[in-house]
Amino acid sequence: MPGAWLLADAKDPHRNGVLKTMTHILLRNRDIADIWQFDTYVANGGYDALKRAVNDLSPDEVIQIVSAANLRGRGGAGFPTGRKWSFIPKDAPVKYVTVNADESEPGTFKDRELLEKNPHQVIEGALIAAYAIQATAVYIYCRGEFWDLALALEERIEEARQANLAGEDILGSGWSCPVYVHLGAGAYICGEESALLNSVQGVLGQPRVRPPFPAQVGGGLYYAPTVVNNVETLANAPWIILNGADAYKAIGTPESPGPKIFCMSGHVERPGNYELPLGITFRELIYDQAGGIPNGKKLKGILPSGASGPVLRATEEVLDAPLTYESVAALGSTLGSASFILMDEDTDMVWAAAKMTHFFRHESCGKCTPCREGTYWLDTIYERILRGEGTARDLELLEKVPQQIMGLVLCALGDFACNPVLSTVRQFRDEYEQYIGLAEPVAAEA
Amino acid sequence: MTETITIIIDGQDYQVPRGMNLVDAAKMHGVDIPVFCHHPKLEPVGMCRMCLVELGSLAVNRETGQPERDENGQPVVRWFPKLQTACTQEASPGMAVRTDSAAVAQARYNVLEFLLTSHPLDCPICDKGGECPLQELTMAYGPGQSRFIYDDKMHLAKQIPLGDLICLDRERCIQCARCIRFCDEIVGDEVLAFHERGRRLQIITISDPPFDTKFSGNTTDICPVGALTTVDFRFGARPWELDEVASICPHCPVGCNISASTRLDRDFGGRKMIKRIMPRQNEAVNEIWICDKGRFGHHHSRSEERLTQPMIRRDEEWVPITWETAYREIAAQLARHGRESGFLAGASLSNEDLWELRKLARLTHADCSLGVWPATMGGIEQVTQVGVGVGTRLQDLGPDSAILVIASDLDEEAPIWWLQVKQAADRGAKVVAANGRATKLDQYATVALRYPYGEAVAALNSFAVIARRSNAIDEAFVAARAEGFAEFDASLKGARVPKPYAEAAQALLGAKDLVVFVGGEGVTLAQHGELMQAAANLLILTGHAGRANNGLIPVWPGANMQGALDMGFGPQATHDLIAQRPAMWIIAEADPVAEDARMAEVLVGAEFVALATQFMTPTAEKAHVLLPVQSFAEREGTFTNGLRRVQRFYMAQTPLEGTLPAWKVFAHISSSMPGGAKPRIAPGLVMRDITQHVLRYAEMSYPNLAHVEPQFPLVGGEDMYYGGTAYSNHGGLGVQWATNAEKEKYSLAVRPVDVARPRLDGLAVVPVRLLYDREPLFAPSSIMHQRVPAPYVELNVRDAEALGIAEGDAVMLTADDVQMAAEARVNSHAPAGTVLVPQRLGATPIPATLVECVVQKMEG
Ligand SMILES: Cc1cc2nc3c(=O)[nH]c(=O)nc-3n(C[C@H](O)[C@H](O)[C@H](O)COP(=O)(O)O)c2cc1C
Ligand code: SF4
Ligand code: SF4
Ligand code: SF4
Ligand code: FES
Repeated sequence: MPGAWLLADAKDPHRNGVLKTMTHILLRNRDIADIWQFDTYVANGGYDALKRAVNDLSPDEVIQIVSAANLRGRGGAGFPTGRKWSFIPKDAPVKYVTVNADESEPGTFKDRELLEKNPHQVIEGALIAAYAIQATAVYIYCRGEFWDLALALEERIEEARQANLAGEDILGSGWSCPVYVHLGAGAYICGEESALLNSVQGVLGQPRVRPPFPAQVGGGLYYAPTVVNNVETLANAPWIILNGADAYKAIGTPESPGPKIFCMSGHVERPGNYELPLGITFRELIYDQAGGIPNGKKLKGILPSGASGPVLRATEEVLDAPLTYESVAALGSTLGSASFILMDEDTDMVWAAAKMTHFFRHESCGKCTPCREGTYWLDTIYERILRGEGTARDLELLEKVPQQIMGLVLCALGDFACNPVLSTVRQFRDEYEQYIGLAEPVAAEA
Repeated sequence: MTETITIIIDGQDYQVPRGMNLVDAAKMHGVDIPVFCHHPKLEPVGMCRMCLVELGSLAVNRETGQPERDENGQPVVRWFPKLQTACTQEASPGMAVRTDSAAVAQARYNVLEFLLTSHPLDCPICDKGGECPLQELTMAYGPGQSRFIYDDKMHLAKQIPLGDLICLDRERCIQCARCIRFCDEIVGDEVLAFHERGRRLQIITISDPPFDTKFSGNTTDICPVGALTTVDFRFGARPWELDEVASICPHCPVGCNISASTRLDRDFGGRKMIKRIMPRQNEAVNEIWICDKGRFGHHHSRSEERLTQPMIRRDEEWVPITWETAYREIAAQLARHGRESGFLAGASLSNEDLWELRKLARLTHADCSLGVWPATMGGIEQVTQVGVGVGTRLQDLGPDSAILVIASDLDEEAPIWWLQVKQAADRGAKVVAANGRATKLDQYATVALRYPYGEAVAALNSFAVIARRSNAIDEAFVAARAEGFAEFDASLKGARVPKPYAEAAQALLGAKDLVVFVGGEGVTLAQHGELMQAAANLLILTGHAGRANNGLIPVWPGANMQGALDMGFGPQATHDLIAQRPAMWIIAEADPVAEDARMAEVLVGAEFVALATQFMTPTAEKAHVLLPVQSFAEREGTFTNGLRRVQRFYMAQTPLEGTLPAWKVFAHISSSMPGGAKPRIAPGLVMRDITQHVLRYAEMSYPNLAHVEPQFPLVGGEDMYYGGTAYSNHGGLGVQWATNAEKEKYSLAVRPVDVARPRLDGLAVVPVRLLYDREPLFAPSSIMHQRVPAPYVELNVRDAEALGIAEGDAVMLTADDVQMAAEARVNSHAPAGTVLVPQRLGATPIPATLVECVVQKMEG
């Protein structure tokens, strides 16, 4: 999909003429076939940003630029990246950058493409972050299933090290920062930053009590101050350093600037990754870019952030809303990692919610009571409903049990688990009622 | 010490120590915040979510810095939008908490409902039933009914042995991780872990052998449900049938406060019987922990092997006699032998026993020697001078403290002290572990110092040299209190100090507090006195004497060696007796024949030997009259622990018929002697005599010893707060006697020590102590037998190679008067030139410290 910036209809000022002619910022592999190779990457301006940072900028200046660009975390929460870097205490002798390549959210496959096809950009971004906080090492934490990718990544890192871009005395600056790859064992929870840190340390992958936060002494990797960033987040950093904050802010909206990779899956004509500026609408993304819904079906439900965010009913209002962190939140869901799972009019929403609930039950780490027991309870209720044995009481429980979980748990997984349940019960109640035999099947929407 | 601050709980102001855990701070003022995973001795984890509260802070006006007030003049609180776990909060100024709101009540209700969805309905048969936090909190805060359909309940394995002592019921586990955290944080033994995730999360043991720690029983106490049970007590009784009796562990010098859970039991002929041993809180002694020896080593008190009938040897046959006959016989023999009588007291006698034995000896003749057994450690003078200060709590040692452990494997000899020293190291205390070999403490030590066996005194003396050279001497203290300084100082001049010694010394110097543990490993009795003096010299020189958390702690063998020394018994007297070979012996609760090869012959050569004992030991076989005395469980008395704390134990179990407490036996013998007084009728009255005659025991009346004060954390109360962690203390906290250093009028003697090292040619024997051995008071606890190794000796690889001995070979060890068969363990643990020989693993005596020996491989 080359030329993804070329939008059919540029109504909004932020999608200006510059963008139309632009190619990819993140998925540059789509424009330059062999960019995974070190020489190709370097020939196309690769590592210039790192050189610029290390040679010409102070760590604080790097943080300032990234802050000014208002880069927001692409791992889900959209937290301002420059701010995150600025929390790291300057005087700590040991500091780490940890790259979150756990990519386990159902429907998310953007980090994989970046790491596979444009790995040097991620490494460069991580090193820029590391320079900004003067980290003593970078750890790239890959989900267990990425083992082949992890092996290749180690070779890319070695190439960078041999070019004196990683490891000892980087670019003769006196700053040393080895980059390591660490493989998880395949657990969704290990994408949660504090569980990830435990997993790197070789202990059970369960989230930690916060405070102390990862940026604080006692809260990070090996209890040293640590920045945890998503792969995609860091892949933005080189472009920002080279082109400046203003150029970056010219893409997207002021609150949600920059390009974003949208992962499209489910009932969609052209599934895959799409790099687009934030602020385009649902409709533009789904229909103009991804080709709409197969077989001329109508779109019923949208999961904008994989299994972990609430389902949106595909109303006209939703389809015309811009894709920014704020506007998706205003609609009652989250943009998260922008993993769109589309569900057409024939989709059984109860079944879909049951699938997601089963996923969360399976992935709950079990550390805290409400999530451990609640996800199990919800799952057994769904099993009963799908077996045709559900009762009105079960439907009531599906609304009540999540209230005993949300906001009362140790990490966000417990909250995530409630989203598919509550959002489907509230928006597609009729389907549940069909299951429990309370109502006659209603005719498909006219 | 810690600053007191004000926090608001449910609208009321409370004064609490800054930084105290919010749950504990609330509890201190009687406000209950229910918990499952939180435990005041463990780091918070915020897992169970039971302790959710509304949390906020007083709003402060940015400009004025003054608290903001609403229109009614009330302070404005900014509340967090979500409930917060109280157990992960530290009390800070301006903190506001609501524990009584509807939202909080709902959250507790919800968590309990969740926990019960996967909990079995085992209460009627569960060991924890009746003292179970899950039961208690469900009654207080939980739902009466579940909305969960019971058919969906989880079914898991219910009898998983986690090692030989502890059993896991997977269905009952509520995944609070207290057991794991206890092992990891408190003990440092990573033996338990979670396996899997979600509702499949389960406890497993990850060590080989499984659950390999000396403290495993404590996990069953802190487990808030009945998921962990001891093999000893499992299905043994219901908690509400049990009577708690305060007692003291009879197995080591720590003197752990224990609670014997007792009931009238069919298995014991309907008599009162100990069903289990639990820790009893004493924050100055064992806090709320005990080791597995203390917990499971009570079976000797009911052993079938116990003697229950006084007997006399006639024509090589044991003939039963009445107590009266025994008293008269012994009184007559004592009258006959007069000053030719020797008295030997074991380290497990109570102070009352010892006092009556001493009275009997004095009645016999003013010159009778009062020996202790084992006679391996001396140094009561140094303890009297600079024993650790009154009020010492090892749990208070931290970043400002230094701890030296010399010539002791604390982990094997005094497990709870080891635990406390390890935790002090975790808190930042400087720890020097000095011994002739590696011990478990090394991993936590700032400096692990190896000296060649025989050189302990020289090593410790060099610490004083370094203190002198680095100006670490407390001049004012020395000027005011030390006696003999000039001569001692002269002895330090020009001493050569090897670098490792200097480094170890430097690690200790400069700390605010210094505690020195002195053991007896690889040290002869003569050297031991010098070692204790070297410790005293160092403590006096650096001013670490006369105050709490400073001073000397001897790692005595046995539970009441301190008491024996206080009552005037001593190790030198024992050696004198062995040399003098008196015609008559009175031995009490000691088994010298099993431990010293010379003793069989010495006793055979005596005309009359009376032995007060619980068991038919090798020494009993050499005696003429046997007096069946009672165990610690069957009577009242006091022990004095290594920190000189005199502590009461009470009668926990119906005495075996035919037995008597040793003090009574000796008192009766006395009263059968010319000039003997009528026996006292109760041990409390014996103690009253002691308070009048033994100056340092003047304050030790039974009422004083039974005194209790509130202790924190508040465990073991009616409300099951923190679970059945330990029993609260109703039996007394005990009283420590003050050392001379604590009394201005005494000067403290420093003197040069004899650093001469015995000449060692060939292989030298170093006896070592193991926690799990076959001594008579422990051997009957068969539940522990898996942990007691067969007799072995440890040899260095080099020595073994030279002798053609391989790991596992059967060997014969021969020293002057000893021949012992053992299995060889070949490793680098034993330093070259030494053979480590664990004590009391077999029936035959082992050689004495630092004697030469020959080790040969046995053929066939
Ligand atoms: C249950 C759970 C799973 C998560 N999984 C991922 C993941 O797979 N990849 C990721 O980048 N962030 C994941 N996160 C978010 C991380 O905790 C963290 O916020 C993120 O890595 C921060 O990076 P960013 O600031 O660059 O977005 C997850 C969070 C939760 C609660
Ligand atoms: S919310 Fe779920 S995943 Fe997160 S810590 Fe609790 S049990 Fe683990
Ligand atoms: S066994 Fe007991 S202490 Fe251990 S996690 Fe389970 S409930 Fe907690
Ligand atoms: S540490 Fe000593 S006193 Fe305490 S329980 Fe163990 S053996 Fe008994
Ligand atoms: S979360 Fe606070 S007590 Fe468990």
